[in-house]
Amino acid sequence: MSSPPGRRARLSSPGTSHQPPDAREELRRRLKDLIEGNRVMIFSKSYCPHSTRVKELFSSLGVDYNILELDQVDDGASVQEVLTEISNQKTVPNIFVNKVHVGGCDRTFQAHRSGLLQKLLNEDSAHDYDLIVIGGGSGGLSCAKEAANLGKKVMVLDFVVPSPQGSSWGLGGTCVNVGCIPKKLMHQAALLGQALQDSRKFGWEYSQQVKHNWEAMTEAIQNHIGSLNWSYRLTLREKGVTYVNAYGEFVEPHKIKATNKKGQETFYTGSKFVIATGERPQYLGIQGDKEYCITSDDLFSLPYCPGRTLVVGASYVGLECAGFLAGLGLDVTVIVRSVLLRGFDQEMAEKVGSYLEQQGIKFQRKFTPVSIQQMEKGSPGILKVVAKSTEGPETVEGVYNTVLLAIGRESCTRKIGLEKIGVKINEKNGKIPVNDVEQTNVPHVYAIGDILEGKPELTPVAIQAGKLLARRLFGGSLEKCDYVNVPTTVFTPLEYGCCGLSEEKAIEVHKKENLEVYHTLFWPLEWTVAGRDNNTCYAKIICNKFDNERVVGFHLLGPNAGEITQGFAAAMKCGLTKKLLNDTIGIHPTCGEVFTTLEITKSSGLDVTQKGC
Amino acid sequence: MATFKEVKVSGFEEFDQAVKEHKGKTIFAYFSGSKDAEGKSWCPDCVEAEPVVREGLKHVTEDCVFIYCQVGDRPYWKDPNNDFRQKLKVTAVPTLLKYGTPQKLVESECCQSNLVEMMFSED
Repeated sequence: MSSPPGRRARLSSPGTSHQPPDAREELRRRLKDLIEGNRVMIFSKSYCPHSTRVKELFSSLGVDYNILELDQVDDGASVQEVLTEISNQKTVPNIFVNKVHVGGCDRTFQAHRSGLLQKLLNEDSAHDYDLIVIGGGSGGLSCAKEAANLGKKVMVLDFVVPSPQGSSWGLGGTCVNVGCIPKKLMHQAALLGQALQDSRKFGWEYSQQVKHNWEAMTEAIQNHIGSLNWSYRLTLREKGVTYVNAYGEFVEPHKIKATNKKGQETFYTGSKFVIATGERPQYLGIQGDKEYCITSDDLFSLPYCPGRTLVVGASYVGLECAGFLAGLGLDVTVIVRSVLLRGFDQEMAEKVGSYLEQQGIKFQRKFTPVSIQQMEKGSPGILKVVAKSTEGPETVEGVYNTVLLAIGRESCTRKIGLEKIGVKINEKNGKIPVNDVEQTNVPHVYAIGDILEGKPELTPVAIQAGKLLARRLFGGSLEKCDYVNVPTTVFTPLEYGCCGLSEEKAIEVHKKENLEVYHTLFWPLEWTVAGRDNNTCYAKIICNKFDNERVVGFHLLGPNAGEITQGFAAAMKCGLTKKLLNDTIGIHPTCGEVFTTLEITKSSGLDVTQKGC
Repeated sequence: MATFKEVKVSGFEEFDQAVKEHKGKTIFAYFSGSKDAEGKSWCPDCVEAEPVVREGLKHVTEDCVFIYCQVGDRPYWKDPNNDFRQKLKVTAVPTLLKYGTPQKLVESECCQSNLVEMMFSED
């Protein structure tokens, strides 16, 4: 690597090879000491981009290295000559790992890809485990399994602190136990109820009044969850991953303390750590909240029907729960402090809310509960809730069987000893900031999943991040997790699927005049005979005019939006443009096909109201 | 040191009866293809798994009942309408399960001692 003109000024006078033999010998010894005394020794030049890449590689692996910048020492040129003698390599960066000469930048990356680098690094076998994962949820299990597949010795710690109402669950994390899985099953239960209503219009005749049995549904769902918990334990065992049902916390940089439900403590050491502890529902911090309210932690295993329910919060958790509870025939009210579905496209959020209202869910907007009292004990009991307006002194009172809090989730990062080992967290929300290889500020400690600052809180994201992290650490891969255009769906009774930017965010990033928004209301064929409204379902795409009308935002409110959005997310990964959509022929009759025939733009001001087909 | 009581049954009726008789106890059930006059089962996986299961049973961590159930001959087992398939959702032999829980091991899983050990250890 030759130095660019004008940078040579500082130090080594060119051609300092005319050293007396003693000085030469002295230098050779010095370099040998550096090579033998450091696990990783990089001879580099500070301005060299290849040197930078190599340093980044070792950093991302959490491996310490020593550097000698040849442009910052007086005898840089001599060093480079002696290195050539020692290693037969004239250029920098010149890398030695555990005294073995690896080569330059290209050879080092090659060694990483082939696994040779890992072998040379010869992870410190003084530790009990190559990898310890704290948290057995979507992210943690994915990372642990992949690391085990790559032949590493792995431990997973998972422990569920019972909720204030006493709920607890098995291995698998939030998604499996108190999130996505039971939620989607209850959503399905509610949809089946709707389908029963529609069925009469399609000619089904039955005289029975159809009722819903909460206990039967919950038992069936919990059985399925139980089989998933068991299958995860089986998988870990089969892969040789050590699973400990204990609460893990750091006591030293490479040591954790595991406390089981009986209070017994055991200690384990690991070379690398992954924090995947996830989140738990937040409470209001008002009188009666922990004693009388339930959260999503409790809802899916509630042994009795919740009855008349107040849902506090209009997050997707709140609206999804309100949605299926109403769909099962319960009286539901949602109390919202400000906006619905914060962070989501607000036009879509309002439409979601609108549909829920049409389904009979009551909304108390711009109110927040200030006290919760128990009027009667029971399963369920009777609770009185007083709520205050956020805009004035007005208060309202309501009586409910159940109050379900869905006001947000907080990261489980404050009581796991992070402060003991110096891992920085965002003090305000407990989230952990990481770089693009999911590394915390402590090099051998990584984090994945819902606890990450600024990343989507979704199971597939955590699973992908976990798998790729294991492959980078132990499999010689360089692939990073791509957090762009992650699709998601809100599973309210009328589903809302989206991928990419909300309209608000698109305007912020690209400016309104550079965007074209195509949209339409539509009437699913199945809704016609069922007599459901023809101007409820809605589709919109946001295109970047200055990039071939690239689709930067995809939004769909309609039945099966979750299934439909998945395909379009893949299309967006391929660089979907409006023209490609136009060129795609639709499947008829489906809801998805509306995206292939979108014509009306918001900028035209034309009406998208359907007049019937 | 936990103990186990072994109950040997043949066919679904006897199995059902045994479960009723031991209601309230922890029950492990092992379903195997029936053995012939020489004591050999028609199911090769069952033959391989049995010693592994019996070894694991020695280290059970809670007092329990171990029901050893011979399901029947091969034609009976292959019938998709047999009682084990219809009423108990047991669709493979060998199957080792903890009655009333989702915990079960099927076929070659029963031959793996680390998994069998996991079954017999208290949760």
